[in-house]
Amino acid sequence: MSPRRAASTGLVDRSQALRFTFDGRTYSGHPGDTLASALLANGITLVGRSFKYHRPRGIFTAGVDEPNALVTVLSGDGREPNIPATQIELYEGLEVESQNRFPSLEYDLGALGQLAGPLLSAGFYYKTFMGPVFGPLKGTRFWMICEHAIRRAAGLGRAGYEKDPARYEEMNAFCDVLVVGAGPAGLMAAEAAAKAGRRVILAEQEPKAGGSALWSGEMIGTRPAHQWAQAMAEKLAATENVRFLPRTTVWGYYDGNTLAALERVADRPSGTAKGLPRLRLWNIRAGKVVLATGSLERPVVFPGNDRPGVMLAGAAERYARQYGVLPGERIAVFTNNDGAYRAAAALRKAGAGVVAIVDVRPEISDAARALAQEAGVEPLLGHAVTGTAGKRLTRITIQRFDAATGRVSGDGRPVDVDCLAVSGGWSPTIHLASQAGGKPVWDEALHAFLPPSPMQPWVGAGAFAGAKTTVEALSTGRDAGLAAAGKKPSRARLPAVTAPALDPAPAPVLEIKAAGKAFVDLQNDVTAEDVRLAHREGFISVEHLKRYTTLGMATDQGKTSNLPGLAIMADARGLPIPEVGTTRFRPPFSPVSIGALAADRHRHFKPDRLTPMHDWHVGHGARMMEAGLWHRPMIYGQPGETVEQAYIREAAAVRRSVGICDVSTLGKIAVKGPDAAEFLDRVYTNTFSTLPIGKARYGLMLREDGIVLDDGTTWRLGAHDFLMTTTTANAGKVMQHLEYFLDAVWPHLKVHVTSVTDQWAGAAVAGPDARRVLEACVTGTGVDNVALPFMGIVHGRIAGAPVMICRLSFSGELAYEVYCGAGHGAHVWEALMDAGEPFAITPYGMEALGALRIEKGHVTGAEIDGRTTARDLYLDGMLSKKKPFIGSALMDRESLIDKNRLRLVGIVSLDGQPLGGGAHVVEKGSLDELGASIGHITAACYSPALERHIGLALVKGGKSRHGTRAFVSDPLRKRFGPVEIVSHHFYDPEGRRMHG
Amino acid sequence: MVERISPLGAAFRPGRHGNLTAGPGVQLAEVTPPAIVEAAAWPGQKEALARAVAGATGLALSALPNAGAVGEQATAFSIGPHRFLVTGGDDLTARLTEAVPLETGTLTDLSHGRIALRVAGPRAEWVLSKLFAIDFAAAAFPVAEGRATAHHDVLAQIQRTGPDRFDLFVFRSLARAFWESLCAASEEAGYEVVR
Repeated sequence: MSPRRAASTGLVDRSQALRFTFDGRTYSGHPGDTLASALLANGITLVGRSFKYHRPRGIFTAGVDEPNALVTVLSGDGREPNIPATQIELYEGLEVESQNRFPSLEYDLGALGQLAGPLLSAGFYYKTFMGPVFGPLKGTRFWMICEHAIRRAAGLGRAGYEKDPARYEEMNAFCDVLVVGAGPAGLMAAEAAAKAGRRVILAEQEPKAGGSALWSGEMIGTRPAHQWAQAMAEKLAATENVRFLPRTTVWGYYDGNTLAALERVADRPSGTAKGLPRLRLWNIRAGKVVLATGSLERPVVFPGNDRPGVMLAGAAERYARQYGVLPGERIAVFTNNDGAYRAAAALRKAGAGVVAIVDVRPEISDAARALAQEAGVEPLLGHAVTGTAGKRLTRITIQRFDAATGRVSGDGRPVDVDCLAVSGGWSPTIHLASQAGGKPVWDEALHAFLPPSPMQPWVGAGAFAGAKTTVEALSTGRDAGLAAAGKKPSRARLPAVTAPALDPAPAPVLEIKAAGKAFVDLQNDVTAEDVRLAHREGFISVEHLKRYTTLGMATDQGKTSNLPGLAIMADARGLPIPEVGTTRFRPPFSPVSIGALAADRHRHFKPDRLTPMHDWHVGHGARMMEAGLWHRPMIYGQPGETVEQAYIREAAAVRRSVGICDVSTLGKIAVKGPDAAEFLDRVYTNTFSTLPIGKARYGLMLREDGIVLDDGTTWRLGAHDFLMTTTTANAGKVMQHLEYFLDAVWPHLKVHVTSVTDQWAGAAVAGPDARRVLEACVTGTGVDNVALPFMGIVHGRIAGAPVMICRLSFSGELAYEVYCGAGHGAHVWEALMDAGEPFAITPYGMEALGALRIEKGHVTGAEIDGRTTARDLYLDGMLSKKKPFIGSALMDRESLIDKNRLRLVGIVSLDGQPLGGGAHVVEKGSLDELGASIGHITAACYSPALERHIGLALVKGGKSRHGTRAFVSDPLRKRFGPVEIVSHHFYDPEGRRMHG
Repeated sequence: MVERISPLGAAFRPGRHGNLTAGPGVQLAEVTPPAIVEAAAWPGQKEALARAVAGATGLALSALPNAGAVGEQATAFSIGPHRFLVTGGDDLTARLTEAVPLETGTLTDLSHGRIALRVAGPRAEWVLSKLFAIDFAAAAFPVAEGRATAHHDVLAQIQRTGPDRFDLFVFRSLARAFWESLCAASEEAGYEVVR
C-alpha cells in the first residue's frame, strides 16, 4: 500500500514527463506538480528526518505552511537547503536530497538520539549547555566538544561553499491597489479595482491563480472553480492597468504602505534566458492594499501525529484534486469540523479507499453526513485518534472521546491505514495584517484569530477576513477591491457558487491527551509535553514560550503549530485562548533567500569614481588605490621597483626638477551670490571678503564645537563667484555643512552652493622646473612671477583647451594647479606631459604626495581627525580676531586650550628604521614593557630630501618637546626605537622654494 | 575646439547585448549636450528664473515642482526647490548669463561635470525601476518633467524626454560605473548601445 498517481483527476499536464532525482534516484512527474506531489505520486512518503529526534517525517501539507518536508536543492556545486518540497515547482532535471540524516534517510543513526529524548526537552540548551559543574570534567574543554557534536546532530540542511552563480535583482513598483493573493477573493478584488481604473498589482505566491478554487471542487458560475479562476487570471493579466505576478510571495508589510515581495523568476530552467534573475525582490509602494491571503489549516495534536502518512485534510484533498495524486490507498480522516468531509469525498472520488472518518464532535451537519456517504463510510462521532504505528503510517488507534471534557475512554480500536488526513479547523492567514500593526481579534465561532483593525490603509477580503464560504469570499473580494479604489460596494449579481452547505465552526478541540509523544511543532520537534513543561517552569507568556521551547520558530514560523501551541498553554493556565494572546508576526512571511535581500547591487554599493585621467594612469603603469570611492594612483611603478623605491624616485623628481599629480579628486564647490563673500567669512576662520578677484587663499573651517572640520584653498573668480576646494575625503561633509547653514541658520543669505568637483580636472605641476613646463604649453596668459604670483590665478589655454591656473603648493615647491573642463582633462594632461618631457617630468602618486607633504608639515585628514583644534595644529594664526566665525564661540573652551593637549610635532627616527602611522610615542619603556603614551604618529615616510625616516605626530605639549628624545612604541608591529621630536616643518621652513 | 572625451571609455560597447529573445527592450546612449547649466533662483524668484530660462532657450518652462520642457535645441527641468538643469548648444551659457540677473539667481556651468545617458525603448520604465525607487509610469512622471533621485552613491537627475525615453544626468566621475550598472540592469530586457 502506498500513495500513487490517481487515474484521472488533477490539473497537471500528464502528456509530458519531467525527470527529477531525490537522494540520487531518478523519478518522474509532470508539469504542474510540486516536488511534494511528484514524490507522493512515486509512492515516497518518508522525505526527511526531524530536527531534534531524527524521527522519520513525511509531507504534512501541500503549501507554504510545510513544516516537515524540507529538502536541499542541488545545482552544480551549489546547495540551497531547507526548501519545502511543497514549494518547489517540478522541472526537468531537478536534483534534491533529503536532510539531517546519516548515513541515509531510511537508516539514520541520529535516530538513536531519541533514546535521550527526556534530556532533549524544552529549554534543553539553557539547561544543559553549561557544562559539568562537578566531577573530573568540570572546567575542561570537554563540553565544548560535546556542544559541537550536539549541534551537528540537531539541525536542518547544510549550505554549500561554492559561489552562487545565480543573479538576484531588486525592483521598485508603485500601484494604487496591491492585491495579495489570487484566490477567489483576490481575483474579484483585482477585477473590481482594475475596472475602477486603478493601477493594480496582483501578487500570488503559487504558480497559478485560484487559491482554494484549484482544489475546492466547487463550481463558480457554470464552470469548475479552477476554470473560473484561470479565466479571471488570464483576463486580468491581459488588462493594461493590472500587473499579475504569479510565484510572488508578499512577505513583509512595512510603514508607509510599503510591502516587500519575492518573485521566483527563473527558479525553473525554462527561464534561464541571459540576464534573467533567479529571484526578484519587489519593493511595492501601494496606495491601498487588499489582503486576500486566505487561511491555513491547523492540525489536531495527538500521540504519534508526526508519522509519514499523517497530513492535513485540506492537503490530502489538494493532492487529489489539483495534482491528481492519492496520498494513500487506505485513508482515514480525523477532524473537529465539517471541512474534512469534503476531503474524504474528494479522495474517494479520486480512487482512494476511505476507511474511517473520526470526528471529535457528537453531531455533524447534514451536508457533512452526505459527504461521508459519498466517501462511502459511516463517521465515527465522538471519537478521536489516540495513537499511530509504523515507520511509515500503517495503523491508527481510535478511542471514544468526549469533546466537552476532553477525556478519552474505552479501549483503543486499531485500524490499518496508510494515510491519516487531519483537520483542526482553519486560521486566517493574518501575518501581513499583524506586521502592519494592531492586535489580532479572537473569533469564538471559528476558534481562530481574525485580523486586527487596519492601522495602515489595507482592506481584508475572503477567508483572511473570516469569510466562511466561497460566496462570501467573492462578495468581500469585490467590495474590498471597490473600497480600495474608493468606490461603494456593488449590488450587481455575483457568479453563483455550487458548494456543499458545510458548518464552518470547528469544535474547540486541538489536542487529544493520551500516552505518547504528541507533536505541536513538527519542524522544531516541540511536543505538547514541552509546552506544559514550559508552563511548569514559569515560561507562560507566549513570547517566552516561543523562546523557551522554540515553538513557532525556523523556516515555517509555526504556521501549523501556533494555535495548537496556544491552546495547550491556555489549557495549562486555565485561561481562554485570547487571554493568553498570540505572538506578533514579523517579516518575512515565508523564507527569503539572502541573495534576494542583497540583490544584484552592482559593485555592492561601491561605484568606482574615476578621474578624467584614469585611463592614462592605468595605461602608464600606475598602481591604483582606493580613496573613498575614488581610484587614485598610488605610484607609477617601473619594472622591478618596490612601492618605496617608486615613491622616493617620484618625490625626489619633484624636488629636483618637476612632477605632475592628478588632483581632480579634490572637492570643489561653486559658491555664488551677492552674499558669497560674507558667507565665506562666516564659514572660514580667516577672512575672504578682502580677497581680490583672481587670487586664492588658504582657509580653515571649524565645526560649531571648535574642532577643525576641513581646510583647502578658495579662489575668487568674480565679485560674487568663488571656487572652494576641500580635501578629497571631506568634500561631501563640507557640502552638507554649507547647505545646512544656508538652509537652516542663515536662510536670508543669498548664496548658492553647487558641487563642481566633477566639472574640473586638476593637475598639480610641482618642482623647480614647473614654470618652464607651463611656459612651454600655456597660451593666452603669462605665467611669470608678475603675471602669476603666489596664490594668483590666470586663465589661458593649453593645447587649445581653456585652463585656469592657480599658483599654489602642497609639496613646498614652486607649483601650480592647472584646472580645465573635465572632458579636456586627459588632453591637457598629455599636453603637460609633452611640455614637461625636456625636464623629465615625472608623474607622482599618493605615496609621493604624502612624503612631500610630511616633509613640509602640511596637515591632512590624518591630523584633522575630528579631535584636533586649530591651535593643536599650530594654525592659530588663521583664527581671525576681527570677526566671529563658525566655531569661534566654542573653540576657547578650557579643555580645548589645555597645555597638555596633543599637538603637532615632527618625529625623526634615530635608529634608521621606519616609523609607522598609529604607533605610540612614549618617554620610556622597551619592546616588552609598554610605557605610558604621550601621543601617536599620524603619518610617516622615508624622506628623500632628508634621507631619513620621518613622521608627523600629535604629542602632549607639542612644540615644548622640540629637541627632546622619546621612543616609538608599536608593539603590534614589534617596533620600539628612539626618536627625536622636532618641528613639523622639516623641509624649507621659510618657504623659499615655493615663493621662488 | 577641443573635443570632450567621454568618461565611459571601454565600457561603451556599441551593439546588441543581453537577452535578445524579444529584441532589445531598451536602447542606451550617451547624449551629453554641448552645454549643461544649473540655474538657481533666490527664494521667491523661481518664476522669474523660469521666465528668464524660457526667454533664453525658447522653452515653455513653468516654475511648478518637477516641471520641465523639451525643445529641439534645449531642455530644462526642475532638479529641486528653486533649481533647474538647463541643456543646450555652445552658446547656452552666454545666453543664460545675459538673461538671468544676479537679483534673480545664479548660473553654474556643469557642461563637463555631468554626463547625460539616455534610456529609451519599451522596457525603459522597467529597467529604470530596478535602479531608482521612483514611479516611472507616464501618469506619475509625464513627458518633460524631471526628478532628482539617487542610485545609492550615484545622484541622478532624470528627465522624461519622450513617452518611452529618459535622459539621466549623472556626475561625470561616476558615469562609467553607473553605465555599467545600467547595462547590467538592462541585460534581462536586452539592450542596444547606440552612438
